[in-house]
Amino acid sequence: MNSELVIKDLRVNIEDKEILKGVNLTVRPGAIHAIMGPNGSGKSTLAYTIAGHPGYTVTGGEIWYKGQNILELEADERAKLGLFLAFQYPVSIPGVTVANFLRAAINAQRAEEGKDPKETAIPMAQFRKEIREKMAQLGVDEAFARRYLNEGFSGGEKKRIEILQMAMLKPTMAVMDETDSGLDIDALRVVSQGVNALYETNPEMGVLVITHYQRLLNYIKPHFVSVVMDGRVVREGGPELALELEEKGYDFIREDVFSNAGQ
Amino acid sequence: MPASNASTLPPLAELSDALISETSALAGEPGWLGESRVAAWRSFTQMAAPVWRRTDLTKLKADGLMPSLGPQHTTVQWDEALAAQGVVFTTLAAAVRDHESLVRQHFGTVLDPLAHKFAALHAALWQDGVFLYVPKNVAVEAPLRAIFTLAGAGQLVAAHNLIVLERGASATFIEESVSEDVAGQALALPQTEVVLGDGANLRYVPVQTWGRGVYQIGAQRVRVGRDAGLEWAAVNLGGTTQHTEAETALQGDGAHVTWKAATFGIAEQQLLTAPWLRHIGARTEGHMDFKTVVKDTAYATFDGMIKIEHDSKATVSRLEEHALHLTPKARSDSIPGLMIDTNDVARAGHASTSGEVDEEQLFYMLSRGIGRTDAIHMIVMGFFEPVLDKIPSEELRERVGFLIEGKI
Repeated sequence: MNSELVIKDLRVNIEDKEILKGVNLTVRPGAIHAIMGPNGSGKSTLAYTIAGHPGYTVTGGEIWYKGQNILELEADERAKLGLFLAFQYPVSIPGVTVANFLRAAINAQRAEEGKDPKETAIPMAQFRKEIREKMAQLGVDEAFARRYLNEGFSGGEKKRIEILQMAMLKPTMAVMDETDSGLDIDALRVVSQGVNALYETNPEMGVLVITHYQRLLNYIKPHFVSVVMDGRVVREGGPELALELEEKGYDFIREDVFSNAGQ
Repeated sequence: MPASNASTLPPLAELSDALISETSALAGEPGWLGESRVAAWRSFTQMAAPVWRRTDLTKLKADGLMPSLGPQHTTVQWDEALAAQGVVFTTLAAAVRDHESLVRQHFGTVLDPLAHKFAALHAALWQDGVFLYVPKNVAVEAPLRAIFTLAGAGQLVAAHNLIVLERGASATFIEESVSEDVAGQALALPQTEVVLGDGANLRYVPVQTWGRGVYQIGAQRVRVGRDAGLEWAAVNLGGTTQHTEAETALQGDGAHVTWKAATFGIAEQQLLTAPWLRHIGARTEGHMDFKTVVKDTAYATFDGMIKIEHDSKATVSRLEEHALHLTPKARSDSIPGLMIDTNDVARAGHASTSGEVDEEQLFYMLSRGIGRTDAIHMIVMGFFEPVLDKIPSEELRERVGFLIEGKI
């Protein structure tokens, strides 16, 4: 099924303040698409709006995925369509272990209308095998499975657990919100390897990588780069655009946008 | 005198000194116990009912309640082979007969039998309860479990538990109360007094799962000796009204406690816990972590106090209390207090939060495809997890888990 994520004229407020002022963006299946922009440009707002966070008010536009305007769906329904959001600051959930959380998420995806959840649930042996494999691949100590989700985890550990979730849930469209923030080079490398490995085994997966710095894109190489400023996509290009940004900073695009606006 | 059922006394309104004294004698109790019962009864009749702001007893019709006779509602579960090591675990009624001097040495030394009218009533009428005694340096691994029940509406049960761990002893004691819903009212008056000798260690797990209609007015007090440790994990789920006063007295130098509780009120339940943590010796340490969930129009009260006594030194004390409201009309009151009578405190503090389910936690779970109802279930179970983790019996932990799930 066509898994393009199509964002049309998206306008989003946080309370009364307009943050996204008409975003147009298409993420193709199998594409790694980077969103770059200065702080305050609305990048995270875009990520949260796609995922369906209740704190954001959509005032206009549509988001189409797998034949549905997902703005009409609840966050859990969007996840069941194959959407995944890797959080910048994952919250901790006291008392809920990483393993139980993952199993609940997997079982939620496997659930079928009209069927007893016990029938569709992932068999324990299969779950254990998979989680062990993925943890080993991501360099996450097995002990983390029994720890309460994100409680007392370092920034790097939290990011690895986000990628672990991605690896176990196998989304078709992953949105990664500033995944590189707060990571040192080693953690960055591991996280990127995890994403790339996942992408290799699921080449139809679309990945929307939201980042401020170009650095992450040395490890997760994008096919497309879109630049968001002041709530709109102002420039699009290939991977070379990211390098240009790194060299010249966001100002060069700002000047461009202003000079064009006069014409 | 009206005929009474062989298993109960006449209703409260028809009891007297003479009947109390006679009942004690008929049971073969020693004179000192009979006399203390009569003294307690007299106090009961003279005392005014306590006025508790947050425990509504206006609907309780105590006059017609019939106190049960004999330890018929006490079940003791343990490995009897432990007796060979000198461990005693029997009904208190039997212990008064078979281990009189040991019981007499400690009975009534930790709890004040005349603290208030209901305490006096308990002291006069208790029939159920257990005596647990662990000799010096004996470590009992398997949990020792006492199960308390009641027969039904119109009944009054009072269990007195006396737990004594000698120097260096260690054990785990589960105090479980359970019943069906009662078509009417019943009154439970449990009291537990615990003596921990120097270097002793106790895990104390009281689990209250009375049915609807049961009023519980109880007290629990633990005296912790030098370098002794207490791990207290309480569960409060049942009954219509609960008023439990609990105290840990860190008497000896180096005494320490980790004290957790899980309370979940639904419908019109009123569940009150009043835990006191007293730091008396030097270098004592206490960590309290109380979790409460309320739903529908239930009302839970946490009336806690940390008291750091004048002669204590270098106390470390922390109280945390968190309440989760699942519905707008549910209520919880948190009254944490801190009384410090000395300058010599290492650190003391408390934190208290109260609120609805965290929207960010909910969104995180929804973003993984977990539906709202399931997410709330997981969050509530996770909220109580640190307490449930302390329940040493797999089967009991499961039962408590089911009860909690059923209330969400």
